Amino acid sequence: MPAYEFPGGITPPERKDRSNQSPLRNATLPTQVTLPLKQHSGNPAIPCVAINDTVQVGSLIAQRDGMVSANLHASISGTVTQISDNAITIDADGLDRWQVLPSLNWRAEDHQTTIARLDSCGLVGLGGAGFPAYIKAQIADHHRIDTLVVNAAECEPYITADDLALRHYPTEILEGAQMVARLCGAHQIVVGIEDNKPEAIHALKEALSHFQQSDCQHPVSITMKVIETRYPSGGERQLIKKLLNLDVPSGGLPADVGVLCHNPGTLLAALYAVRDGKPLVERIVTLTGDAISTPGNYWVRLGTSIETLLQQVGLANQQLHQVIVGGPMMGLPLTTLDVPVTKTTNCLIAATREELPPAPSESPCIRCGACESVCPVQLLPQQLHWYARAENDATLEKFHLFDCIECGACSYVCPSYIPLVQDYRSAKQRIRVKRIESAKAEHAKHRFEFRQARLARENAEKQARRQARQAQSRQTSDSSKATDSTVQVVDLRSLRIAQTAAKAAVRKAEKTLARAAAEDPSQRHDDLETQLATAQENLKAADTRLAEARATMAQQESP
Amino acid sequence: MSMMHASQRTTESLNTMPPTAHLMRWVIVATVPGLAAMTFYFGLGVISNVLLAALFALGAEALVLKLRQRPLQPALRDSSAVLTGVLLGASLPPASPWWLLGIGVIAAIVVAKQLYGGLGQNPFNPAMVGYALLLVSFPTYMTLWSPPQPLISENLWVQISGTLPTSTLDALSGATPLDAFKHKGETVLASEFWASQPLPEGTLNAWRNVALAWLAGGLLLIAKRIISWHIPVAMLVSITVLATLFYASDPSHFASPLFHLTTGAAMFGAFFIATDPVSAATSRRGKLFFGAGIGALVMIIRTFGGYPDAVAFAVLLMNLCVPLLDLYTVPRPTGQPKAQQHAKHGDSP
Repeated sequence: MPAYEFPGGITPPERKDRSNQSPLRNATLPTQVTLPLKQHSGNPAIPCVAINDTVQVGSLIAQRDGMVSANLHASISGTVTQISDNAITIDADGLDRWQVLPSLNWRAEDHQTTIARLDSCGLVGLGGAGFPAYIKAQIADHHRIDTLVVNAAECEPYITADDLALRHYPTEILEGAQMVARLCGAHQIVVGIEDNKPEAIHALKEALSHFQQSDCQHPVSITMKVIETRYPSGGERQLIKKLLNLDVPSGGLPADVGVLCHNPGTLLAALYAVRDGKPLVERIVTLTGDAISTPGNYWVRLGTSIETLLQQVGLANQQLHQVIVGGPMMGLPLTTLDVPVTKTTNCLIAATREELPPAPSESPCIRCGACESVCPVQLLPQQLHWYARAENDATLEKFHLFDCIECGACSYVCPSYIPLVQDYRSAKQRIRVKRIESAKAEHAKHRFEFRQARLARENAEKQARRQARQAQSRQTSDSSKATDSTVQVVDLRSLRIAQTAAKAAVRKAEKTLARAAAEDPSQRHDDLETQLATAQENLKAADTRLAEARATMAQQESP
Repeated sequence: MSMMHASQRTTESLNTMPPTAHLMRWVIVATVPGLAAMTFYFGLGVISNVLLAALFALGAEALVLKLRQRPLQPALRDSSAVLTGVLLGASLPPASPWWLLGIGVIAAIVVAKQLYGGLGQNPFNPAMVGYALLLVSFPTYMTLWSPPQPLISENLWVQISGTLPTSTLDALSGATPLDAFKHKGETVLASEFWASQPLPEGTLNAWRNVALAWLAGGLLLIAKRIISWHIPVAMLVSITVLATLFYASDPSHFASPLFHLTTGAAMFGAFFIATDPVSAATSRRGKLFFGAGIGALVMIIRTFGGYPDAVAFAVLLMNLCVPLLDLYTVPRPTGQPKAQQHAKHGDSP
């Protein structure tokens, strides 16, 4: 397969050798974990444990709320000591007792069971946005998927978590890919990997040659494509362009061109969830930077405090300048180290002042166009900068602000040291808030509709209960009244139509929400969640009414 | 937010962009071949022009910054004012009177640049605003290009005294080749004009070599990725095409394309003036239109207008068109539909 090109891109210093020289290790078990209720895109999970409850590793402690959300499990065994508005704290008992779900054979199991397992294990995308994996696995419901892309590019400097995962678990990751490919109906798997990871490439090749002999086990063909190292080739759209020469439409999803993208870490966790029944309670984190003495990749339990974690690997406090979560291009500097590792923490950089110095003060933009030439989306960052500072939102949208993937290539090359991406992010946020404001009336209307639907459902259920009671009493007294059966038949038919319509409405609402959430994983989608809940209430009501009518029919026929 | 920056790299690569101040300094460095050639042919008056203008520019910039109560250091260090001074000094006749330079610099730095908000904010090319102002206000001084002469000549005194001694006016006054050709008269055929030896010996040669020196400096800028090729290439191609058309239609009245490229400010303008990123169109496609527009205007004014050369006016007129060009040359981002759709609403619900 030839490699295609995406425009622009940069080649920043990689600095990956600091963390990829040592094998994958286990971090010391924490004595306490703080598990935030929101480690994923969408709504926070709702706690389902109480203070002083004893939990084991893998016990469900919070349930997903709405569709775009994820379950949360205890990552150590011990006692729940605190439940706040946004986190659950567990003190370890030091025993590390596990509670796993029964093992599933994904090759034999039907899709629904496997997807339900991904859901119950709280699996989210481990690459960055934390999008619930079970929604992605359901994509086959409304999109035709041809290709599953395994995004092993890992293009950001410093990060080597996927690299190490591929070196240690190539077989498992490929099996995970097979499983996901089966769920989404893809008939080819393409692994995209940058050429700066020779060991991982070697491990994958080895695993692939092993697979070729037992083809029946792996029905979907896997190809590996080694691509040139250029940031941001790991961007979903850039990778798809590079591997398959497909352009994901603006405002669209890879699914629109028949592609589903997954990160190797996610595939590994997905396999563990299904094959071993292991909920998502730990992940591989790259600990790197010049301010720590033993950099490398570690299996870390979720909820471990970043401060204790860094101290374990030899943090030199006096040299520390800043700690960055994520990569140096798209990550965020921490203001405090008293925060836990979450499902989306792929890398922690404890940087000294020398390695990542603060940017010099910015000077005016001279429109030199350096940013334009590195933009992988072919935007005009210099113009966006101008309009972002002027808060000219209409023009910003005209210049396609929302096509910006925030990769930071423009800031990287800007000779005036302008923090361009920061400007775009705040401009996007401002426009989003405006949109939400303007949709408020609409949202209120949807909430009202939801209430109506809930009342209607409750009524229907009440009615059904009454009917059932009546039927029972009728049966005992054996005094059947003559009812008009033709009316019942017509009624049954229209009820069945209503139920089908309600089902379609639920599916449509799910699809809309899944799309919106995948496009914009960082936002909450309350309005769409409400609409989905309304549709679900309507469906329940329709189900109840239909069941009730059927029961009545049966009764009339049986005497 | 990017915590890394290209300038912090330890190893150089083609992708690296130096800070803004370095860009400015590189442009100044790239003027050296052109200035050296000019000095060689037209005397030390060229150097003194440039030095004086640069000095004035720094002074004017500092003064305005002081009045605007802005920090002096960063603005003066970025060398943008010096660059404007150098470019203005290079475009004026060698050894121009000091006050002429002063007025030009004030128009360039104070009016065209700082009154619009300083670096990055000016819609017009500052050096060309200064030049155009001088050209319309002091045509006598602006059209007196001395013929090629030794390094040190008496007209250096003109610069200091600031007046033109009437007795030596004839010795001083020379016409540029463009000027001479423009005023050859309707009835004189081009061949007759050249046969009459209208210019002092070596003039054409001097201008051609100066143009080649500017070209060398320009190529250096492109090689160092300080400027992109789009504007100079578009401008020179457009001049060549139009000049060829005119020449082909009537060689007895119009000058050859080579003449147009190698005399006047065509080369200098293409690489050093039109490429000012602040006042030029910004997208790659926009730059092509911008450069081509300048080339076309240069040819139109040179051929049909009242001035022998026209780079300054052409650049300023195209500066006016930049907002329009920028609006209509927005590249199609990856993933956007092929048909240009402006004002897309609700593309991400």
